[in-house]
Amino acid sequence: MPLVLVSILLPIVAGALLVTLPRGDRVLSRAVGIAVAATTFGTILAAGTGDWSVRWLSRPFESAFHFGATPISYWIALLLALCTACAIAACRVERTRDFVALLLALEGTMLGLFLARDLLVFALFWDLMLVPVFFALIGWGEHPATAWRYFIYNFAGGLTLLLATAAFGIIYGSTDVIGRGGAPLAGGWAPWIYAGFAFAFLVKTPVWPLHTWMPPTYSGLPSPMVSVVSGVQSKAGLYGFLVIATALLPAYVHQYATPLMVLGGISLIYGAVVALTQNDAKRIVAYSSLSHLGLIVIAVASANTLALDGALVYIVAHGLFSAALFLLLGYVEEREGTLGLPRLGGLAWMNPRLGGALCIAALAALGLPGLAGFAGELLILIGVYQAGFIWPVIVALVAIVLASAYMLRLYQDIMNGPQREDLPIRPDLTWLEGLAVAPLLAALLLVGVFPKPLLDNAAITSTQSGTLP
Amino acid sequence: MTLSFTNADWSAILPVEVVAAAGLAVILADLFSGRKQWRYVSIVIGLLGVVAAGIVAGRQFGHEYDAFFGGFMTGGFATVFEEIVLIGTAGSLLLYGTIGPAGRVAGTTAIMLWSACGAMLMAGAANLIAIFLGLELLSLGLYALCAAVDRKTARESALKYLILSSTATAFLLFGAALLFGATGSVMLGDFINPSLASSPLFWMGAGMFLIGLVFKLSLVPFHIWTPDVFEGAPLPVTAFMSVVTKAGALAVFARFTYAALPPGVAARLLLPVWIVAAISMIVGNVGMLAQVDLKRLLAYSGIAQIGYIVVALAGGTPLGLRYAIYYLTAYAFMNLGAFAVAASISGSDEDGSRLSSYRGLGRRRPWLAAAMTIFLLALSGLPPTAGFLGKILILAVTVENGYLWLAAALIVGTAISLYAYANVIFAMYAPEEGPQRDLRPFVPLAWASAALCAAVVIAMTFYPLTPSNVLPLVR
Repeated sequence: MPLVLVSILLPIVAGALLVTLPRGDRVLSRAVGIAVAATTFGTILAAGTGDWSVRWLSRPFESAFHFGATPISYWIALLLALCTACAIAACRVERTRDFVALLLALEGTMLGLFLARDLLVFALFWDLMLVPVFFALIGWGEHPATAWRYFIYNFAGGLTLLLATAAFGIIYGSTDVIGRGGAPLAGGWAPWIYAGFAFAFLVKTPVWPLHTWMPPTYSGLPSPMVSVVSGVQSKAGLYGFLVIATALLPAYVHQYATPLMVLGGISLIYGAVVALTQNDAKRIVAYSSLSHLGLIVIAVASANTLALDGALVYIVAHGLFSAALFLLLGYVEEREGTLGLPRLGGLAWMNPRLGGALCIAALAALGLPGLAGFAGELLILIGVYQAGFIWPVIVALVAIVLASAYMLRLYQDIMNGPQREDLPIRPDLTWLEGLAVAPLLAALLLVGVFPKPLLDNAAITSTQSGTLP
Repeated sequence: MTLSFTNADWSAILPVEVVAAAGLAVILADLFSGRKQWRYVSIVIGLLGVVAAGIVAGRQFGHEYDAFFGGFMTGGFATVFEEIVLIGTAGSLLLYGTIGPAGRVAGTTAIMLWSACGAMLMAGAANLIAIFLGLELLSLGLYALCAAVDRKTARESALKYLILSSTATAFLLFGAALLFGATGSVMLGDFINPSLASSPLFWMGAGMFLIGLVFKLSLVPFHIWTPDVFEGAPLPVTAFMSVVTKAGALAVFARFTYAALPPGVAARLLLPVWIVAAISMIVGNVGMLAQVDLKRLLAYSGIAQIGYIVVALAGGTPLGLRYAIYYLTAYAFMNLGAFAVAASISGSDEDGSRLSSYRGLGRRRPWLAAAMTIFLLALSGLPPTAGFLGKILILAVTVENGYLWLAAALIVGTAISLYAYANVIFAMYAPEEGPQRDLRPFVPLAWASAALCAAVVIAMTFYPLTPSNVLPLVR
């Protein structure tokens, strides 16, 4: 069986088989989950750009179950496998077995999305990856309305994606196009097709004003799940912009660059300002996500090679630090039973390891040089400036300053200051808890000082026909 | 002129004869059952008959023949619709495991089989008389079936269906009479005559004929009867109506619109039908939102789903017909599956049709809840199910034919429907206090039916078989 197929099916099948474990199981399901996610990581590495394809439809347009990594999706797939493994390791929720099964299902469906080389398969997994999160929100979320909001927003995006895919297939004759570098689509329909794709991608990312599903979803989900959703699922839209919109409809990305930049810019500032005013730590990180991803939207809109390279670095960086932040906040919540900043304080005295880890993650999020976030931000800013867009750069710089403010506030209010007497005193991170976030932090440092492998594929604008390092 | 039918004519309707004979066999077997009521014997005989008919019909697929002087056409198209009818019948029979008084299972099984004969006749009918014959045979059985349990709602359901359906039949019959007046022929093949395009009589006849069909398809505004009738009828009968009646009516509709209209008429004559289908997709899905009963929910769902299928026929392309058939098949399986789950958690009082009985099902009956989730995902058009692929195929063919507004209505309708379907999923998996185990007995037949339907609904996504040689429809 081709490795790329293994990497997609293994988590899904393993997740389904987990249900055969005893209901109350906490240990074995996590062990199996970590093993599966780690194996998947290895499989993606081993599979490289090898692809696998089997014909699905021949009419009304050609379509195939075609899977294989592109130079972009390769890194995102690795990020996904890493985040999932860490999330499962950090997973301490009720009904662990079912939750781990959902995490694995989420991993498998998202790998299907990122490794799909066919637009219709991409659309299939786009909808499919909503299902595990919906179930997690039903079973573990705080408020039912959150599940609805998540599902309906994203499904609406899925529907326009589907319509655009159908129209694309009919005009183009085939949907087996991702990473192919064929001729761009043109014609009277193309702007509408672009609009369909763009709507889906912008809802998923999300950008202002389509973001309202995001803060409740992120704060409602248990932290292991939200670390994967925020770390990787939110990149699905940006990935779509990179490999579908930029590659197949470049003229329209260019033509509508300004509205896209405006949306990205508003998200950037709005997310940062709201993050400053929030008191719930998870919501701060959620709004910071809105802000950070707005920067990537600007990079995509600029269509500058350097900015797009930076976008990939920042996609990976944001995945790493937001996953780490959410996992660490999960630890804090587990220990103290709250994530309200006014109620927390002085945790670093008793939990130095937790404090140190949160410090690294927060510094990465605010773009400290040496960590991955900085490399991405810098490349994007230079690239966008090169492309001749001045005001987005200014907006981004303002937002980066704001990012320092809210991230430091987050860290200080939780970790520094006098110890709160009403908070229970809990032990520091156990070795397993530490091990669950260590790979994310290590990867942040690694990408920060050595982002070259991600940049070596100068393939992003030449529609992904490059090779892996 | 003497009419003489050859053996070839009789063997053309062999599948229908097999099903009819199975009905007789059920009644005969029941004579010997004495006081002990053989619930399963009736079901098994019925299923055997259906399977045999399915095999016989399958052998006719590639052999096209005009039996009874062109009144009944076998091969491609007819075979496909006969098979769908048989699938629907088998799926409904499987639900009789616990539902309804045992003493009536034999009778209702037999009547259901004979009703199915009517739908199978409609699948192959190529003249107005055969169409009417099939339609009446189908409907007459259903009037009795709706009233087959001792419930006030069941009697209400039967009466409602009788009155409203008769009205529709009157339209259809009047339309048929006008068509005959305009053309001097009952053969659908004779309606292609270009001179008819300017005949007002033909337009009136075709219009009324279509009204009758649209009623049977239960498209808006002729849909009002569906939820009430579905709710009152016994569960297996509801399942039967939701699949078989619609398959039969759709066969006639497809044959009439594809092959029995003079050139140039279709675009104008059928425009109201497409509008009605578009409204159905919206109204049906909106109607689902407030329902608390699964049968009513699926009734509204069916209104919208048939809208999707009819939309595929807009444009009159062969590809559209193939996708309509694909979606109809998928719809049959997902609907039957949902009813099978309902039957599995029902006692004899059919409480499984109340949506409140799905609360916490994910905990009590994980496998059934998983199957139900698949059916609901399929009905709402989410992957990895045949509903997803069917919808995208229909979308594609609708866009290709230039009916963008129909595609838009389909999208809007789907978006609305999501809430209603996901609501049931939500109820099944929401954590709450309640019994951890279900004390109801295990219902093997319905359970097996649900499992089979779930497997097919998923498998059809990856192996999308659409029949290729379903044309020509009239010769």
